[in-house]
Amino acid sequence: MKKNYTFHVLGMHCNACVVLTESELGEVSEVSSVKASLEHLSVEVTGDFGDKTAEHVARDLSGVLKPHGYTLSLLRQQHHIAWGEFRVALPIAGAFIALFIILQKLGIVNLITSSEVGYGTAFLVGLIASVSTCMAVVGGLVLSMSANFAKEGDKIRPQILFHAGRLVSFLVLGGLIGALGSAFQLGATGTFVLSFIVAIVLLLLGINLLDIFPWAKKLQPTMPAFIGKRVHGLKNVNHTLTPLLVGVATFFLPCGFTQSMQIYALTTGNFLTGALVMFTFALGTLPVLALLSFSSLGIHKKAQSGIFFKTAGLVVIFFGLFNLINSLVGVGIIPPIFSF
Amino acid sequence: MSTDNRNIALSIVVAAVFIAGAIMFAGSGSNANIAGAPPANNVSVVDGKQFITINAKGGYYPRVTVAKAGLPTVLKMNTRGTFDCSAALAIPSLGYRNMLPPSGEMLIDIPPQKSGTVMRGLCAMGMYSFTVNFN
Ligand SMILES: [Cu+2]
Repeated sequence: MKKNYTFHVLGMHCNACVVLTESELGEVSEVSSVKASLEHLSVEVTGDFGDKTAEHVARDLSGVLKPHGYTLSLLRQQHHIAWGEFRVALPIAGAFIALFIILQKLGIVNLITSSEVGYGTAFLVGLIASVSTCMAVVGGLVLSMSANFAKEGDKIRPQILFHAGRLVSFLVLGGLIGALGSAFQLGATGTFVLSFIVAIVLLLLGINLLDIFPWAKKLQPTMPAFIGKRVHGLKNVNHTLTPLLVGVATFFLPCGFTQSMQIYALTTGNFLTGALVMFTFALGTLPVLALLSFSSLGIHKKAQSGIFFKTAGLVVIFFGLFNLINSLVGVGIIPPIFSF
Repeated sequence: MSTDNRNIALSIVVAAVFIAGAIMFAGSGSNANIAGAPPANNVSVVDGKQFITINAKGGYYPRVTVAKAGLPTVLKMNTRGTFDCSAALAIPSLGYRNMLPPSGEMLIDIPPQKSGTVMRGLCAMGMYSFTVNFN
């Protein structure tokens, strides 16, 4: 006999989760229909489970979702805010931000003494860029993305995809710039729009990481759910495509270091040289970016994970505000506030 | 949960002290770190034309320049191994936006400015800036 059940889903926080929950539960033979709701963090299941109790069904279906980090329960979980975690998270985030500011003020860019560009210089420029102001953009994206994926229990794959996407796109696009002798550069409006969008995305992701406002989950930018539903066998599309595309997009993000390397690649007039210059630059940024992205590995189930996510959230929010202010300054809407 | 609240208040203070300390600590030394010290006198007038020299690397130096109004002006941007954002220069009031060469100088012609004009140069992302006051 078919019956209707409504379960609360623990661990659901994005459109991808809805798609994933629905498709996983849909494959269970006893289930005839399933409808998940991100708004209510619940799932309605219709199916014939014999004379199993609702608790029993919840336990069985939880087993199916376990690998993805979701649990079903009959009781609505009260949203519990662990304010105490800020005790540790705030000073760590503060120290991290202070370190960032000190590095800028000390003038790390002056460590680049060479005035000619070679592969060595390109690598060094990348290394310095990765701890410098422009990396508030890329580093912020990496940290927020990897922390958010780690929260979903997604391990190493999204991080690898991001870094691979970044390295490959720098190689290929750098080569194209070298061969074509022109750069893909944005005008004033394009730069403004792009950095404004990045700032907003960072703020949303950062707020989501703090885990204070349940409504922030709905604002999280993800691939639209319908794409995931249409593309058969790609129910995990959000977790595959997003990091890859973000990696490729970092080539176009307005960052002075990247731009100056692109200008150099352009003057080489050669596919291979252009490709290798941009690639070595990206390689130079890799150690710090990898550190940021893999710092969130394995934190998912640890007791301190709340502290980690709150720290990451605070840092990402700082980067978001930093970018927001900079983008408004950049078009002359407000006078400069940060001046390094 | 008053001890909890007090602890959080304490950690906010600690975080703020860290950040404020970083800003203060670095505030003093920042002008000295340009490769090639800021030109002592960065404004000169030759044959009725005004030249303003600004060094660009990890920011713009000097930050504030006082120049004469009503003179045709040339802004001379100096770079020396500049691969950071300061190479991507924007002057919103002139609609100017360009990449400076990594090493060398870029001359930018500026029409005579009215007295009281404040001209601001920015890196494309907005985190570095310099100001020229025309009097
Ligand atoms: Cu920049």
